Amino acid sequence: MKRLLALVFVAHAAAMHAQSAAYLDHGALTQELRRVVGSSPSAKLTSLGTTLGGRDIWVVEIGNPGGKPLAQRPGVLVVGNLEGDQLVGSSHALETIRYLLTNATSPAVKSVLDANVVYLLPRLNPDGAEVAFATVKADRRGNARPYDDDNDGRTDEDGPEDLNGDGLITVMRVKDPAGAYMIDPADPRTLKKADVAKGEVGTYKLYWEGVDSDGDGFINEDGPGGVDLNRNFQHDYPYFDADAGPHMVSERESRALMEFVLAHRNIAAILTFGQSDNLVTPPDAAGKLGAPTSLSLPAFADASNAAIFESGMLQPAIRGGGFGGGGFGGGFGGGFGGGTRLRGAQPGANNNPASGRRPDTTVHRADIEYFKAVSEAYKSATGIKALPPLRRARGTFFQFGYFQFGVPSFSTPGWSLSAAAAEAKPSGAGDAKPAPAGDARPAATGDAAILRALEGAGVNAFVPWTAYKHAQLGDVEIGGFRPSVTTNAAAKDLAALGRKHGEFVVKLASMLPRVRIASSEVKAHGGGLFTVTVDVENTGFFPSALQHGVVSGSVKPVVVQIQVPTESIVTGAPKAMRIASLNGSHSRQRISWVIRGKPGAAVVIALLAQKGGTDSATVTLK
Amino acid sequence: MNRKRLRTVLSCAVLMLCVSGVAGAQVAKRGSDPEHKLNLTWDRWLDHTEVGERLKLMERTWPKFLKLQSLGKSYGQRDIWMMTVSNPSTGPEMSKAAMFIEANVHGNEIQGTEVSLYTIWYLMENYERIPTIRRLVDERVFYIVPTINPDGRDFFMHGTGSGARTGHVPVDSDGDGLFDEDGPDDLNGNGIIETIRKYVPGQGTHRISHQDKRILEPVAPGEKGDWIILGREGKDNDGDGLIDEDPPGGYDPNRNYGSDWQPNYVQGGSMDYPFQLPEARVTNDFWMSHPNIAGMQTYHNSGGMILRPPGSAWYGDYPAADIRAYDEIAEAGERMLPYYDYLVIWRGLYTVHGGSIDWMNDGLGILSYSNELWNGDQYFNSPLLQKQAADPNSPISGQKGDFFFDDFLEFGDEYQDWTPFDHPQYGKVELGGWKKLQGRVNPRFMSMELFHRNMAFTLHHADQMPHLAMGAATVQKVEGDVYRVRVDVTNDRVIPTIMEKAAASRTVRPDLLTIEGRNVGVIAAGLVPNKFQPGPLSMIDQKDLKRILVRNGVPGRTTRTIEYLVKGSGQVTIQYAAVKGGTVSTTVELK
Repeated sequence: MKRLLALVFVAHAAAMHAQSAAYLDHGALTQELRRVVGSSPSAKLTSLGTTLGGRDIWVVEIGNPGGKPLAQRPGVLVVGNLEGDQLVGSSHALETIRYLLTNATSPAVKSVLDANVVYLLPRLNPDGAEVAFATVKADRRGNARPYDDDNDGRTDEDGPEDLNGDGLITVMRVKDPAGAYMIDPADPRTLKKADVAKGEVGTYKLYWEGVDSDGDGFINEDGPGGVDLNRNFQHDYPYFDADAGPHMVSERESRALMEFVLAHRNIAAILTFGQSDNLVTPPDAAGKLGAPTSLSLPAFADASNAAIFESGMLQPAIRGGGFGGGGFGGGFGGGFGGGTRLRGAQPGANNNPASGRRPDTTVHRADIEYFKAVSEAYKSATGIKALPPLRRARGTFFQFGYFQFGVPSFSTPGWSLSAAAAEAKPSGAGDAKPAPAGDARPAATGDAAILRALEGAGVNAFVPWTAYKHAQLGDVEIGGFRPSVTTNAAAKDLAALGRKHGEFVVKLASMLPRVRIASSEVKAHGGGLFTVTVDVENTGFFPSALQHGVVSGSVKPVVVQIQVPTESIVTGAPKAMRIASLNGSHSRQRISWVIRGKPGAAVVIALLAQKGGTDSATVTLK
Repeated sequence: MNRKRLRTVLSCAVLMLCVSGVAGAQVAKRGSDPEHKLNLTWDRWLDHTEVGERLKLMERTWPKFLKLQSLGKSYGQRDIWMMTVSNPSTGPEMSKAAMFIEANVHGNEIQGTEVSLYTIWYLMENYERIPTIRRLVDERVFYIVPTINPDGRDFFMHGTGSGARTGHVPVDSDGDGLFDEDGPDDLNGNGIIETIRKYVPGQGTHRISHQDKRILEPVAPGEKGDWIILGREGKDNDGDGLIDEDPPGGYDPNRNYGSDWQPNYVQGGSMDYPFQLPEARVTNDFWMSHPNIAGMQTYHNSGGMILRPPGSAWYGDYPAADIRAYDEIAEAGERMLPYYDYLVIWRGLYTVHGGSIDWMNDGLGILSYSNELWNGDQYFNSPLLQKQAADPNSPISGQKGDFFFDDFLEFGDEYQDWTPFDHPQYGKVELGGWKKLQGRVNPRFMSMELFHRNMAFTLHHADQMPHLAMGAATVQKVEGDVYRVRVDVTNDRVIPTIMEKAAASRTVRPDLLTIEGRNVGVIAAGLVPNKFQPGPLSMIDQKDLKRILVRNGVPGRTTRTIEYLVKGSGQVTIQYAAVKGGTVSTTVELK
């Protein structure tokens, strides 16, 4: 593959200060990671394995040598580019590495690199990302796993074609009295769904740019690849969606990340770059994330293939004529009507359908304040307030991070849809805002608003509609949003945005729990009896375990163990005292043991905090 | 029978095979009953090595039909053996519906392994003799994994039997950074993990029954007993002040599958993500690459149940058509398996998230049961004895019945009487109780019946997997070179080629209905609602009528009549291909 966008760097020591001015393909990214990490004693570049396309999944581990082993330090994990087209995340992760290494001596960064460890996976989905560097560019989130999206027994047989030869895959609109869409008066380049209840008349059909390659009557319903890695994780997994893979953590890439995380239980916070957000809009009072927003044109084009799964459900009788096969009732009790009594559902030992624990789907009340605090820190570090289109977080890695791994875990698209966007809300948010003062254009919602914001920021965002003679559809127009523009920041902004995210990662690391033995004392009672007392303190900001980490059992308690034989403990705390969670901001807990021992003997008290480091103290019995 | 004796029998069998192989002659027939080609005995529980030996012996004996492979290694580097039973003369494996049989996912639930071995042996011994068995082997493929948890099996067989349900991937159960460092211990070295009880006169929770001094019974609320129970035999191995808090493994290998998988705080023992365990993973890799699998049985113990998914209520029940197929097969099973009830897992047993048969049904579209082998009622298995056992004064009621059975039928083999022991943490205590095989594993002498009846049910299940036939096509000239062509596609078994839930969630490739012929075009196609009653067709609304996708397959015991309106001349071949149920076709001349 041609490295169209590979950068040219000057080969001298100061090159480390060079910053991103373009998106990098896998080869260029690999080269740049090698160069930035270089021979730094504080950074290590390793591969977690290779993708189906043979590309390495890189991870960079950063922490200053000396002090505690890295695996015992509270860590931040940064993951970018899970969605193949979310290149901005890989750039931010790369810039964060650069920021950490070039500013390693600044007090804030040094403190983090001395006490913490930062793991960065700039690009979890290198196969998917590579598509953005192909001669013909398309938005594609999935990896390279061949997948029979339309379940027709053929795999990847009907992908897009660049019909108009502009090197971009956009959409096609066709004038059709049976169409459901109409021109949006706010911006006649965009379309909206005709509201028949308001008497609006649809005049257009929408398709992805391409032809019906397999003759099934549908256009581009089964393109190359793949599984969307940010829909392949365990929390709120979207079962049976073609882009979510055959099951949770089914992909090489997601499995590699999962195994990495499980082998690094010291990871105490997670930051991912992706098409969901909980940093600009933290969870609300009910612990719910903000509503998703989406672009209409691609959604309309997707909808042109919606009927594909119905057409093969053959009905033994005329539709609507009695024995139609639609017996699938969905929920419990579905289809229990009819003549035959169905067996197997008779009462038994555990017959309360409402019984049993269910997984939590909202942020625990006690944890919301911490998310808000991080959100404030994020907005203040990056200045980002308005976001590009987002989607509902299902099967995402960052939600796994909180709901199952039990740590503060975040997602951000990593860029702002410019100030103009703040004035015009994306679709889904119904109320249109008036245009800024002096703007005579009508108020915009949906695609029109997003387009206005992008163009306001000087982005060449839209391919104008141009006529095309389509082999199957006749006269069509091809146009629409350019690939990448609604997912990725403009290349010119990468260096500045990346640095800000580097600063935010340092801030986030500085907030991690740091648990230590603050003080210890011994009191002698005579006869070889002593009281040993320690104060355990968390000097970080986060508690040693978020409340959901405690509830879910995914974060282990802080263990404070006095290293004497069990028989020597006369009374007081258990030999291994477990503290479910110790709050941050210098909160303390006192632990005392009354033990029998030899005067003058040294006694070790060891502390193990899964997310807050390790410590020990030695006292002398006297 | 001891192991040495069995080995002798086996080597005799091998020797006989060699002799007959060299001479090319039949084994001389003695007596009136059919001779076995392989004289195996079925009254010993085998460890993993012996299971492997027996599988290899059977493969050598019937090389045409049997193929042994290792699906991969368990965590403990043991082979996960799988035997394929298939007749290559009746078509390649992938062209036939396959039955997947596995057992022993819980290490202590051992007897399904022997049922699996018995099934292979029975199919082979009777292939020549019983036409139904021959038909099953010719029509179907069997993939049989006698133990999916060989580490757990050997831990049970060679160890004390305690805590053997789990697999053996180390888990830090107590969060101290150490793995599996404090499990049960055989303190008195008698090879058994016993119960610990302590004599605390007037302060305890239990007392010795006046009916049998071996029975320790809980006292009524408000009363005080003389004994307390202090758990299983063990001590504080890691010096943290806790006893047996981090035993080997410590998870549930049957909660690690991909459907309705839930994290640990919702479903204990599920591990961190589905198919994380090597045993579940290699099995699933096989399943996903073998869409011909159309039926699945996983043997567990105990309780006497034919279980079907789903494992949890709030996941929702299945479409009625699917339940009907489950019901019909399992109701036959209830008649084949006395003391077994057909139940939905969550209703009849308890809630299970991420169990293997949920994944088979929901994730792979495979009708699957889990038999819970052995029901304690079978100790006294006649109406008369059942009635006696229900009378609390009878010598065979409740716990007395267990002791009666052990005393009179097993000669006391399963019970270890209480003996004093000086415990490092508890002081003077007594150790004793039932041994590992009592309770959940059937008595050895009752194995044959249990193995055979469960096998018979699973073979019935296999027989009800989809099976397609195509009738002869009829041609009727309409006008010029336009013809009406009709053909019947029949699935004469209970299970549909595509279950309704699988069709809705698109987990099975649709059936493909194709028509081929030089110079032949399809004008229209549809289903004939009733071929004996004139009326409109149910039209097939697809663009490519030469390759029709049938997403909902052919239901069980159903004939679908397809009608084409074609234009052209010469021969046309109509083919119907299901991944579960085979491919059938017919050729007809347009004239």
